[in-house]
Amino acid sequence: MTSPSRALLSAVLLLLVSLPSTRASAQAPPSVDGVPIDPEAELVVALTDDTTNLDPRMGMGSIRSNYIRQVFESLVDVDRQGKPVPGLALSWKPVDDLTWEFALRKGVTFHDGEPFNADTVLFNLDRMFRKNLDKHGIKDVPAGTSFEKIYPFVSRWEKVDDSTVRIVTTEPAPTLWDFLGREPLVPRAWTIKHGVEALNEKPVGTGPWKLVEWKRKDHMRFERHDGYWGTAPLTKRLRLQVIPEAAARIAALRAGQVHLVEAVPPLDAEVLGRDASLRVVSSVQKLACRIYLNGRTKDKYESGGRDGVYLDPRVRLALNYAVNRDAIIKKIFHGLALPNASPIATVAYGYAAQAPYPYDPAQARALLAEAGWKPGPKGLVNAAGESLTLQLLLPAKHYGQAFDETVAAVVEMLKAVGVQVSVQTLDFGTLLQTLTRGTLPPNGGFAACRTSNNLDGDDFVRDWATTTLVNWTPYPPELLGLYQATRRQVDGKKRLAALADLQRQVRDWAPVVSLYQEKKAYAHSVRVLRFTPTQELNMDFRGVALRR
Amino acid sequence: MRAFLLRRLVHAVFVVWGVVTVVFFLVRLTGDPAALLVDQTATREEIARTRTLLGLDRPLHVQYLDFLRDAPRGDFGLSLRERRPAMRMVLEHFWPATAQLAFAAIVLSTVLPIPLGVVAATRRDGLVDHASRLGSLFLQSMPSFWLGLMLILLFAVGLGGLLPAYGSGTLRHLILPAVTLAAAPLAQNVRLIRAGMLEVLQHDYVRTARAKGLGERRVVYGHALRNAAVPFLTVSGLSLGFMLSGTIVIETVFSWPGLGRLIVQAVPGRDFPVIQAAVFVFAVLFVAVNLVVDLLQGWLDPRARVFERSA
Amino acid sequence: MRVRRHGVALVGLIVVVASAVLAVLAPAVAPDDPVRNDLLERLTPPMWIEGGSGRHPLGTDTLGRDVVSRLLYGARVSLVVGFSAVVLAGALGVLLGLVAGYYGGRLDDLLMRAGDVQLAFPALVLAIAVLAVVGSGLGNVVLVLGVTGWVTYARIARAETMSLRHREFVESARALGARDAAILWRHVLPNVVPPLVVVATFSVARTIIAEASLSFLGLGIPPPAPSWGAMLDEGRNYLTTGWWLALFPGLAILGVVLGINVVGDWLRDALDPRVERGI
Repeated sequence: MTSPSRALLSAVLLLLVSLPSTRASAQAPPSVDGVPIDPEAELVVALTDDTTNLDPRMGMGSIRSNYIRQVFESLVDVDRQGKPVPGLALSWKPVDDLTWEFALRKGVTFHDGEPFNADTVLFNLDRMFRKNLDKHGIKDVPAGTSFEKIYPFVSRWEKVDDSTVRIVTTEPAPTLWDFLGREPLVPRAWTIKHGVEALNEKPVGTGPWKLVEWKRKDHMRFERHDGYWGTAPLTKRLRLQVIPEAAARIAALRAGQVHLVEAVPPLDAEVLGRDASLRVVSSVQKLACRIYLNGRTKDKYESGGRDGVYLDPRVRLALNYAVNRDAIIKKIFHGLALPNASPIATVAYGYAAQAPYPYDPAQARALLAEAGWKPGPKGLVNAAGESLTLQLLLPAKHYGQAFDETVAAVVEMLKAVGVQVSVQTLDFGTLLQTLTRGTLPPNGGFAACRTSNNLDGDDFVRDWATTTLVNWTPYPPELLGLYQATRRQVDGKKRLAALADLQRQVRDWAPVVSLYQEKKAYAHSVRVLRFTPTQELNMDFRGVALRR
Repeated sequence: MRAFLLRRLVHAVFVVWGVVTVVFFLVRLTGDPAALLVDQTATREEIARTRTLLGLDRPLHVQYLDFLRDAPRGDFGLSLRERRPAMRMVLEHFWPATAQLAFAAIVLSTVLPIPLGVVAATRRDGLVDHASRLGSLFLQSMPSFWLGLMLILLFAVGLGGLLPAYGSGTLRHLILPAVTLAAAPLAQNVRLIRAGMLEVLQHDYVRTARAKGLGERRVVYGHALRNAAVPFLTVSGLSLGFMLSGTIVIETVFSWPGLGRLIVQAVPGRDFPVIQAAVFVFAVLFVAVNLVVDLLQGWLDPRARVFERSA
Repeated sequence: MRVRRHGVALVGLIVVVASAVLAVLAPAVAPDDPVRNDLLERLTPPMWIEGGSGRHPLGTDTLGRDVVSRLLYGARVSLVVGFSAVVLAGALGVLLGLVAGYYGGRLDDLLMRAGDVQLAFPALVLAIAVLAVVGSGLGNVVLVLGVTGWVTYARIARAETMSLRHREFVESARALGARDAAILWRHVLPNVVPPLVVVATFSVARTIIAEASLSFLGLGIPPPAPSWGAMLDEGRNYLTTGWWLALFPGLAILGVVLGINVVGDWLRDALDPRVERGI
């Protein structure tokens, strides 16, 4: 063979040898942690209910957040540990005591191509504070949170350039980045063109998932947004499937019809945990469940001339001592809840651990006696001979069966220290109406849970500072002053210290009977990789993959 | 005939109007939806503002007149929660989900009983007779949702997911909910057909037909069944109304995305436009079915049409 | 065969009467307090299963309440609701039907139209809406189930009255100067009653089931009062882990309703075979 032909032969041989390996590397499946995954798969998640609309302005409750935050995003994002990280804003800082500056992420577009920029932010702020709606040509909507009432000190917002926005307040607002930064943002041009009602049909956002199909009460289908700026989802499609019955959700998981199930009832979580083909994970939530008591003075509600029976903090504190939280957490929640004597959720920013309320019925009775309630023939009575009674309003089936069971158990515990409790079950709407009209009886109370869309604990302690539906024990002047000081304290360290002090005092002042803080359990097939539950109200599917 | 039809149509319109009016005022008595649309941390002013936004603070008679003006055009207003046209929502949920379910249940509960009831009657005290009577008795004695839960337990959990426990879409999904919904009416109809057949088979004209040498099958299906069918049809018409109500419970148990589920959420949610639109649809269906049943009865049994029946 | 027929009805009657007796005697017979809860005893299985105890023969529910006691007290609720609602509906319906049938004309028209509207109304929606207004409670549930059930009774009473109106004995009574009310009471009513009894019996069965359905939707007798429907509802999230919670109340409802239906069948055969069968 001549030299050139030998070279040619070698070249051909080399080529032939190298071909299989290039073919192999082109065929190597994508993998995560060494496990091959299916990037074209559809991740199917079972939820307890559908959302009624997708406009973030109409409310950001726990069910709605799951749907809304797949499509829309906010300036501030949250990592899996609950820390704030850059979202649509790269950074935020106070320029001076009354001004905040947000530097926006560049190059972000909505699903239809509309660019995200300072104009978008200004438009959303206008919507949130109900300003300039006529100028934009859009309608007002019934709002879940009315910013202009709750944060009236936010006075104006202006565009510095396409990627910078400044917000000016009339008093120092150290948590502005939180209460404004967590609101999901809708597109400006799209909303003006299609109208606010179109946001409830097929909206576009900047989020990792594009809404593809919405069959009401049945499911919502999403597709991965390939132009997404952040950690892309590792499955092409996502389906949020509505399955209200717990037994059906679990049956669907077992049968492989869904990959992931939220809100696993505590007993089922235990049982499922023993199944080798499933994983059960849980995470602490911000949902705090309590019994609220009527502690308003007679001029503050439709009282018929009587102060609320539970005006005295000693009585409320005593009731807190009467509750056996350990038994509740162990027996009803099987460990999927925790006690918390602080008004702020344990995973919220600014939380400072407080001395837990002990289960001490003897101490409870002593406190009640000190407040003037002594044992009588049928229960506790005061000097005037009136019995200590509680008419408890319970919104049954609104917060789940474990909540209803807890309240029933707590009622027995309160009876055991001498309070004559009568429970009135009503639906949630009627409860809200009673609270709105102020017609809670003087010896009235209601059981409800409070969660937060925000990262900062201020959201929780604000409850008793303003006249809202749930504020039946308004702060006395000292606590109100302390709260307002935390609101205005710009120094981070000083603010945390002030918040800790406030929590300690609120713990002793006991505005409510604290019951438990929720821990949510999820169950998923072993095929689901890298799913971590968040402490927020929504599930985050960025970076979640399905094994082949 | 035409006068009869016209009279029945007018009557039907009146009934639908009556139902819708009762609902209109009844739901407004159930309270204020505005409180439900705001946060727990809302103030009274925010709630009042929401009421104004939704047009709920206008005087009742003004709201009613607007409603009467818009409804015939199909405009039942926007859902308070979803901000979409209420009638469109109702129709979306009704078709195909609830329609499929109701249709399947109707077919099961009207077609199946005929052969069963006939066999039970003609072979009285036979195996089929006893089995069907016992079965019917049982099926009519249990709450439909309990039956549904037991079926889920058996087929979806127990037999390893033989049938799906939730959702809609395929025929397999339809089986359990349709069977559960059809169970009680089916049981009732089997007994009805059987009883009607038994009574009719004794009559003279049947004996005459037999004596004339007509084939047994012609006697049974041609003459007897036709007459036995009359009471069965009457009760069926009413049954349908209850079946539509029954979808409310069944859809909840099986997570079926239909009109029943929509109502179960709309009523406590005080979503007036949706409730009104849904009840309107139910009423129209009920009235339409009864009209058809009446006409069928008249065709099957000329004697039934002579006296004015307001049933 | 006839003996077997009577035999079956007798068994049914015994079941119903036994339930009623047990319900009345519940405070004396029940082993435990049906309402007081005790978390430590939560979800104990029936006594023949490992983990069960003789103290709770059929186990305990999610709050440690004894199932047997709750079944017994629940019988009270179901039977009281069933009978009261039917009595209410029957009284109302018969009154309206008698009047409509006797006087005829405009009154009759109005009443029958109202009945049509009532029937076209999806029953559950009406119940949900009304209970949301007045709140749930034993009295209100009876009221709702009773007031919505008058139509069937009214129609039967009306039909009977209309056919009797022109009969001889009524004509002669009127000729003798008897007042309308007396005629209705003495002559018409006794004839109306037999078919109504049959319908009423089946109605009781249906009402017990209806109460269970209302509880299932969260509208029935509110907790902690035990009612079979509410027990079923509480048990539905524990189908696999606490199957006894949903099974026994379901069997209780099945048993009692079956008994009532069987008795109703027998009554119909005995009293009035003319009534549309199988209602």
